[in-house]
Amino acid sequence: MTFKELTRKVLLLDLLQGLALTFRYQNPKEIYTEQYPLQRPRVAERYRGAPRLGVNAETNETLCIACDLCALACPEHLIVVTSERNPNTRRKELTTFTYDLSRCMFCGLCEDACPTDCLELTQDFELASYSREGMIWDRTTLERGPQPTKYER
Amino acid sequence: MQQFLNYLNSTQTPGETGNFAWATIYILIIFGGISVAVIAMNWLERKVLAHMQVRLGPMRVGPHGLLQPIADALKLLIKEDIMPAEADRLMFWMAPVIVVITAFTVFIVIPFGPTHAVTDMNIGVLFMLGVSSLGVLGIIMAGWASNSHYPLLGALRSSSQMVSYEIAMGMAVISAILMTTLTADGAGTLSMIQIVQAQDKQQMWFLFRMFPFGFLAFFIFAIAMVAETNRAPFDLPEAESELVAGFHTEYSGFRWSLFFLAEYAAMLAVSSIAVTLWMGGWMRPFSHWLAGDTWDAFFSFFPAATFFLLFVVALAGTVRMPKHAAFKIQKAGLGAFALVLGGIGVLLLIPPVKDRIQDIYWFVAKVSVFMYAYIWYRGTFPRYRFDQLMKLGWKVMIPVGIAVLIVVAAAPAFNFVW
Repeated sequence: MTFKELTRKVLLLDLLQGLALTFRYQNPKEIYTEQYPLQRPRVAERYRGAPRLGVNAETNETLCIACDLCALACPEHLIVVTSERNPNTRRKELTTFTYDLSRCMFCGLCEDACPTDCLELTQDFELASYSREGMIWDRTTLERGPQPTKYER
Repeated sequence: MQQFLNYLNSTQTPGETGNFAWATIYILIIFGGISVAVIAMNWLERKVLAHMQVRLGPMRVGPHGLLQPIADALKLLIKEDIMPAEADRLMFWMAPVIVVITAFTVFIVIPFGPTHAVTDMNIGVLFMLGVSSLGVLGIIMAGWASNSHYPLLGALRSSSQMVSYEIAMGMAVISAILMTTLTADGAGTLSMIQIVQAQDKQQMWFLFRMFPFGFLAFFIFAIAMVAETNRAPFDLPEAESELVAGFHTEYSGFRWSLFFLAEYAAMLAVSSIAVTLWMGGWMRPFSHWLAGDTWDAFFSFFPAATFFLLFVVALAGTVRMPKHAAFKIQKAGLGAFALVLGGIGVLLLIPPVKDRIQDIYWFVAKVSVFMYAYIWYRGTFPRYRFDQLMKLGWKVMIPVGIAVLIVVAAAPAFNFVW
């Protein structure tokens, strides 16, 4: 043990250093905890949360072209897309779109497969539901986005 | 009635004058004060510890969680009282009672001021050390009576730890007591009040007497007292990662809260011994260096100023409360609390109260520094391993304690005192 190490040990400098560190951290500015329902958490930009089906902002028409690529990409096969061909325009049009959130692992492969950027996993994270059926989202829910209950006294 | 109130002009403690009524009043005040201090300490510990760990701590029960300890106490009182089927019923019942009684009995001789003690014993320090070490008995009883492995191991650890550190503690205490003989007549004392008066006469806290030996003795005591009270980093008897909760694993509800109360009361008690022996007890800082009426008047405003500071802090908290309907009641409550603190501050400005409260204030202020240090250690240091604890106790603390004792005892014999 060198002289320097010995002095550090006898004078308990390491302990004092630790005490100084914890003392500095008492500054309220350092606090990282959020007061959740009142304070919204800072969700990362690349966070993959609630799925959402995009709609055209002006015409309110769905962007989905019912190509079924998301359903094929999904490793869990939890997306079911049904469509029917419009006889006038000769185009496939979306009828129903179900997304079983209870089986979703938020891998984002469906999002990547979507050719029109219609389906995306948003930053919404409040996905709790009172029933298993509530976890299976249909087309309207997907287009509207999750509507968590706001609790107030 | 007049005779009853005449005591207030007395220069002695109620115990010495044999004033039974005032002694009872003092005991009740001290009991209430300790209970309030434990509640405050509970809140402060959670808050300060949380801030050291960059958390918020309790925030929901009352403004900034101020009512959390009261809610916890209520919860504990209405919890089911469980006694293990195989437990030794009498001992199981006795253990928390003994621990609490020993923790509170110690406060009889603690001098909050020259007249502000229940009594002044001529063996005050011995009484404190003796009674406080009886608490180990309660802990062993708790561990044994629970008839379970973890409590037994916790009790064994606790007793061996307390017994080893008591020696180092004793060495430190003796060297402080020897310092009381460094006066002209060379008469030493064991009385808590006279120890403080000896520091007053020598115009120096024993912390700085014969520097660095007074400081070393204090330092040994400061470490040993953390070990004595089973607090981090010496909290092996109740190390939750190893022993669940140590000796009070099988206790719940009210009995557990008694252990909790006793632990904090013991912390207050040992801190008071440290303050009395080394930090000048009730004396205000620089009572000789900054003497004179002007300085006396200046320092006499400290108690009121402290409460005004708390008032301002609470008021700032009220103003900065989030603007949300759910916070209306909390806001009103914190505002009312701020007003109460301000009211106490105004009350402490009334001259007779102001004079009366001086010694108590400085004593409590010094003790609270120690209480903060307890939380600070807990937030900083990792727990010792048991063999390291014993090594520290027997191979470092006791030899250093004996060395300090020898120097402090021998130096005056050669007329070499500084």
